[in-house]
This record gives sequence, C-alpha cells and structure tokens, in this order.
Amino acid sequence: MNLNRRHVVGGLAAVVAGILPTLSFAQGKGVIAIITPSHDNPFFKAEADGAAAKAAELGYEAMVLVHDDDANKQSQLFDTVIAAGVKAIILDNAGADASVAAVQKAKDAGIPSFLIDREITATGVAVSQIVSNNYQGAQLGAEEFVKLMGEAGEYAELIGKESDTNAGIRSKGYHDVIDQYPDMKMVAAQTANWSQTEAYTVMESMLQANPGIKGVISGNDTMAMGAWAALEAAGRTDVIVVGFDGSNDVRDSILKGGIKATVLQPAYAQAQMAVAQADAFITSGSTGVEEKQLMDCVLINADNAAQLETFALKG
Amino acid sequence: MAQKTFVALILGAALALSGCKIVKTPAPGAATAASEQGEAGDDARIAALLDRTYETELLPLVAERALPVADLRAALAGGLETAGAAHGNKGSGEGAAWNFAVRGEGRVVEANLTSRARKAMLDTDGDGAPDLTLQLGPVIKGTSLRDVAPFYRFGDFRDQIEFAKLARALNDRASAALDVPEGDLTGRILRFSGTVDLKSATDAWLVTAVTLDILP
Repeated sequence: MNLNRRHVVGGLAAVVAGILPTLSFAQGKGVIAIITPSHDNPFFKAEADGAAAKAAELGYEAMVLVHDDDANKQSQLFDTVIAAGVKAIILDNAGADASVAAVQKAKDAGIPSFLIDREITATGVAVSQIVSNNYQGAQLGAEEFVKLMGEAGEYAELIGKESDTNAGIRSKGYHDVIDQYPDMKMVAAQTANWSQTEAYTVMESMLQANPGIKGVISGNDTMAMGAWAALEAAGRTDVIVVGFDGSNDVRDSILKGGIKATVLQPAYAQAQMAVAQADAFITSGSTGVEEKQLMDCVLINADNAAQLETFALKG
Repeated sequence: MAQKTFVALILGAALALSGCKIVKTPAPGAATAASEQGEAGDDARIAALLDRTYETELLPLVAERALPVADLRAALAGGLETAGAAHGNKGSGEGAAWNFAVRGEGRVVEANLTSRARKAMLDTDGDGAPDLTLQLGPVIKGTSLRDVAPFYRFGDFRDQIEFAKLARALNDRASAALDVPEGDLTGRILRFSGTVDLKSATDAWLVTAVTLDILP
C-alpha cells in the first residue's frame, strides 16, 4: 500500500489548524482514494485506471487500493484512508449491506464517498451512487440470447460469485427475460465464481450431462471465455455463448465468430464521472446531480464489437 | 375543563394515528418497516404502486402528452435534446434515453405474431416502407413506459432490481390490455398510442403500445 506520509501529516495539520484543507498542500488538491475489487479482473482495473487518470487531470493524487471483495478488508482500508485525510473516496464496494457502515464511517469523518458500479442498500450515506444498470444490461444480453436461440432450446447458465451483488442481479435480469419464453429450457445452472478456469471445468461437466445444450448464458466475460474454450475443445462451436462486461477478450472472440454477444458496462467512463462529481463536491459543496444515478449498459455483438476498446465504445 | 378536552383530543388523535400505523400501506420505494423492506415485499409494493398510478396517472399522462407520429418526427428534426426537453422525459442517469409518448396509425407492412415478443411494423406516412415497430407483447422490451413518467424516479426505489420490477410490471399491465387479433395483420390499419425511447434522433422507433385499435 503506497500511503504517502506527507499527506497524512498534511491532513492532520489541516484539521488541527482548522484551515481549508486544500491550502495545506504545497501542490495539487489532495488525495482521492480509489477502492475497488481485485484488478485481476480487467474490468476493475479499467475502473481504477479511469478514476486515477481523471484524478490526476483534475489535480489530485490517487491512492489506489483493492478490497478483494472482502468487507472486513474494505473496512480496514476505510480506516486507513480516513486516517490519511483523503479528500474523497471512490468505491466499487464489497457488499451492498456490509458497505453501508464503512461509507458511514467516512461520512462521519467528513470524507465524502462516491460509489461506482455497485449500489449500497442505504441512501444519504454516500454523496453519489453511480450504478451500473446490471439488470437492464442482463435483459439486453438475454434478449439477444433468446433471439439467437430462436426462442427455444436447452441452455445452461454460468453464475458469478455468490457474494457479489451483481452475480444475483444479472441472473435475475437474465431470467426476467428468458423465463417469458416457455420453450427455453434451462438444463443446468452453476456458479463458476467469475473464474475462467472454473468455467472451463464446469462447462465440461455440463456438456457431458447435457449434450443437447444449444446455448450458454454467462454472468460475466471471463466465465464466457472459459466456457467457450471448453466448447471448442469438445468440438461444440455450434453452441451460442453470451457473456457480460464487454472485455477485449470477448470482443476478439465475437469478431472471430466465437462468442456471440456480451454487454458493456462503461467502467472507465463511469469511474471518471465519479471523480468529476467528487471534484465538484469538494470545490463547490455539491455535485449538482442526484445521489443515485443509473448508468445503462450497451449490447455488444458482431455489429459494434470492433468499436469496443478497454470497456469503452469509440464513437 | 377546556384543557381536559384538549388533552383528550390529543390522546384521541394519537390513538387514531397509531391506529393508522397498524393498517398502513407502505409507500412503494420509500423506507418502510423492516418486515416490508427487501426483495420479499417487492411484488406487493409494485402491485400497489401500479394500482395507485397506472390508470390514474400513467395512462392519462400518455394520452395527454402523446404527439402524433409526424409531429414527433418534426420535433426530432430539431435535435433530440430540444425535442426531449419540450415533449419527453429523460430516464434516470447518464446516457439514459429520452422517452416520448406518441400516437398514430399506420398500415401493417410486416408482422410477427408467432414470437413471444409480437411485433407489427407500420407504415405511418404512406410511402409503403415501415417507419416504426409496434410491440404487442406478451414480451415487451425496454423501460419506456416507466421512464416516460417523471413520477417514477429511481432514487425513490431501493435498488435497480425494484426499479426494474416496476418497468416489467408496467409492461405486463400494458400488453395484457391489448387485444391483438389472430391471423395475418399485414395490410391492416392499426391505430395506437404508446411510448418510445430514443438515444439518438435517428434511432429506429420501437413503440410500446398501451392502446391498440384495428381499423376496419
């Protein structure tokens, strides 16, 4: 963890002296903490990169941390950044319920939080919650999946990590659409914990038990990649696979005619928006927008995959 | 004596209030008692919200604000933002679509009634080519019926799931009310009112119908 001692001291001095914190720094406007799940998933790395780039652009220093989807670790990180006197916290949180206390703790210490991607179950605690509309995104993916399946046939679902709110939201969004088609038959549903290697193994056994599978709908792109690899190995490239996230890996697969579709969450842009709102709040006391903001996802298929790069669609 | 009456009144009012509390119907989306919070109570809350607002607020809103197809096209020619600010409602959040109420009639150029998501493509300007697609259910895509209404606000709901359930319930309510005839619709004239969401002025129109008449 690269905690800069100068800022800790500076932050404390500002509190003690009661002067405007921005004046206590020789350069820049202070530190913005950026806390996300592990960067092993390129989606979260894109978030952190987007936020850090925007922070630098607006004259802040970025303190980038990961909570690994562990609410306890997240709580400790909050203690750390509160002690460090950061000006704001950008957070992709580690649990809708569990994170409320951590965000409240920061608020009590006078530090505003700006949430991205996942929402928490309380309002009035964070300043902004810019929520990826995973449910809407899942509906888009499911609509495309149903269309590709011709509204009928056996399919399997790969579910994300249970502790992650979005795993459940996406699955519900998928079923909200698919379950309206009585000829769509789900023959297997299993978690592969967002993991590519796990998805490979799960897909292998699903395929063995259900050779009639015509499609696979996956809670994210890494699992879709694992499933596709298993299908390729089994010579079953006829199976329709749809993912979620809009990763470059799945983009490349779509362009090669492999995986059929995914759903883009604009991670990079969303993180940048959060930092811009943090800056507005720090400098003017208001973001000028409502706390809860939904951000729509975009369907990616062969028509627009070429425009996709690092979780952003190029005009 | 006067004071006693006053106290009695206060007590009475307090009792009446607590009486209200026992039978209170929670405001959808608003904070409610713990037992009613969370996903378990969603369906009941959404159903109550629809009962309160669908017939009395949403349908009148669509009827009042619906622009004839040609008028909406003309407004869009001046740019989506301008047309939206004048006639539409923006969905919640960055990049959300503008939602418009629209009405019109047109000849069915092509229809798919075998899909669960039944559709009719209409020619509304008489050039023989379809210029909008009417969604006839039972599966309805999108959230324009929810997002056309300024009184359904994301911030009033617990989370995206509850908000999405509202959209789904509205779509179901609307499509259930449509009387779609069996058999080939091609060549028939349909009169409709409904909602459409647009992210750009040039988007193809996918209209969620709330009223539908087949003209003889």
